Amino acid sequence: MRIVVSRLEDFPPGERRIVQAGRRSIGVFRVGDNFYALNNYCPHQGGPLCLGTTQPWVTSARPGEFVLDEQEALVACPWHGWEYDLATGQSFLGPGEPPARTYDVKVEVASGEGEPKGGRIPGPYVAETYPVHVEDAYVVVETTSGSRRRETPGGEG
Amino acid sequence: MTAAAPAGTGTIDTDVHCAPASLADLTPYFEPYWRTYVLEGGVSLSATQGLAYPPQAPTTATPEAREAGLTPARTVGDLRAHVLDPQGLRAALLTCTASFACNRNPYYEAALTRAVNDWMITEWLDADDRLRAGMVVPTLDTEAAVAEIERIGDDPRVVQVLLPTRTDAPWGNKRHRPLLRAAAEHGLVVGLHAWGRVGNAPTSSGLTHTYLEDYLANSQTIVQAQVASLVTEGVFAELPDLRVTLLESGFSWLPTLLWRFDKDWKGVWREVPWLDSKPSDVVRGHIRLTTNPAHLPRQATQVRQALDLLDAKAMLLYSSDHPHDHGTGHDRLVAALTPDERDAIFAGNAAEWYRLG
Repeated sequence: MRIVVSRLEDFPPGERRIVQAGRRSIGVFRVGDNFYALNNYCPHQGGPLCLGTTQPWVTSARPGEFVLDEQEALVACPWHGWEYDLATGQSFLGPGEPPARTYDVKVEVASGEGEPKGGRIPGPYVAETYPVHVEDAYVVVETTSGSRRRETPGGEG
Repeated sequence: MTAAAPAGTGTIDTDVHCAPASLADLTPYFEPYWRTYVLEGGVSLSATQGLAYPPQAPTTATPEAREAGLTPARTVGDLRAHVLDPQGLRAALLTCTASFACNRNPYYEAALTRAVNDWMITEWLDADDRLRAGMVVPTLDTEAAVAEIERIGDDPRVVQVLLPTRTDAPWGNKRHRPLLRAAAEHGLVVGLHAWGRVGNAPTSSGLTHTYLEDYLANSQTIVQAQVASLVTEGVFAELPDLRVTLLESGFSWLPTLLWRFDKDWKGVWREVPWLDSKPSDVVRGHIRLTTNPAHLPRQATQVRQALDLLDAKAMLLYSSDHPHDHGTGHDRLVAALTPDERDAIFAGNAAEWYRLG
């Protein structure tokens, strides 16, 4: 299933969108020019993971040294603070902890097909919910085959 | 007798107490100025070692040690006759905490710890080659502590720097780092031993007035704070060769502390990014605990569970804690050990940890 999230120009860096696809809620994050999408469901206890705080990695070679990465890479569930890698859904809570489900996110250019009809312009993917301007770039979430599926016993939402 | 080693030679006892009977024993080892300071100031060694070991408290000495006058041993001859020879010990690590309760004159503390160390080397280590020592250092002057480690830390019989668990600031605090670094660089284990100054509260929230609270605090409250401090402050990240032994501090509390320590670290790791593995792994790599006092349940199956949670075979070093009497917990420990565990805890672990060859 392909879900059109937003026009690219309406989705600036540092922001996120929560989209609904049937029963599934998905958080889409823009970090710089990279997009990440995670199931809005924390594998820990089902909290709204994608409403949590995002943070960059911080590393240190010695006590008192703090090196903050430039880009945010982790999201922490607002319920218990469990952290997951935005790109991979990897949990950093230790061995045996399931990852969060992730999805591919692409920026796609609309095909340009479809003629205006009575002043209305057909959308390329889920056109019934999104007006489309020909040649605009769209942020699209792919939830079906071809997406990065992981073994997520607790993560299917 | 509490905590007697199982029959057989080769046992290494990592916590055997000795102490000068009075400051007079140390007179030859004091510089002249400090001999007059002691006399003019009426300075003496605390008979209770700062309330650590009240003479009549049942915990202070086993009946056997008390009868032999070892509260604790004052001379190497007494120790040889009552401990080293009868128990067939391969090695005994001497602990002298007499300077722990020193007054707050940092220069006197430096002089006192030098005197204790020279007394220990001359009258104990030189007299019996089974003996090894934990050296003492001043706690109020880090530079002086480092200097003392530089002075005698390369003596192969000195295998440990003995520090009190009660301190003005926890040992992980940055201000103490040069001391810990000097120990690591000289290949010395840092031994955190119960007690310290009376003025250092046994709880984090203030002073107490009972021996019961003091005694309990040493093996539960204070030492756990020191473990948390050493790990959290990144001491082992900065000093990867540093080994720390917790002496006379109990051990059965460790698994529950580490369980919560790991859990909390997962959430707030960002505050201490130098901590590059979970606290329980850091502790396993860098900390060992002596076996006395042993706080263990009475039921054998529960003892076994406690030892498994701890990974006793890897984490424990046998100590009699002579002459102190901590009851029968240690007997339950010994009874629960497999032969392999006994070998490790009574000899192998200490030989490796203290590089005894």
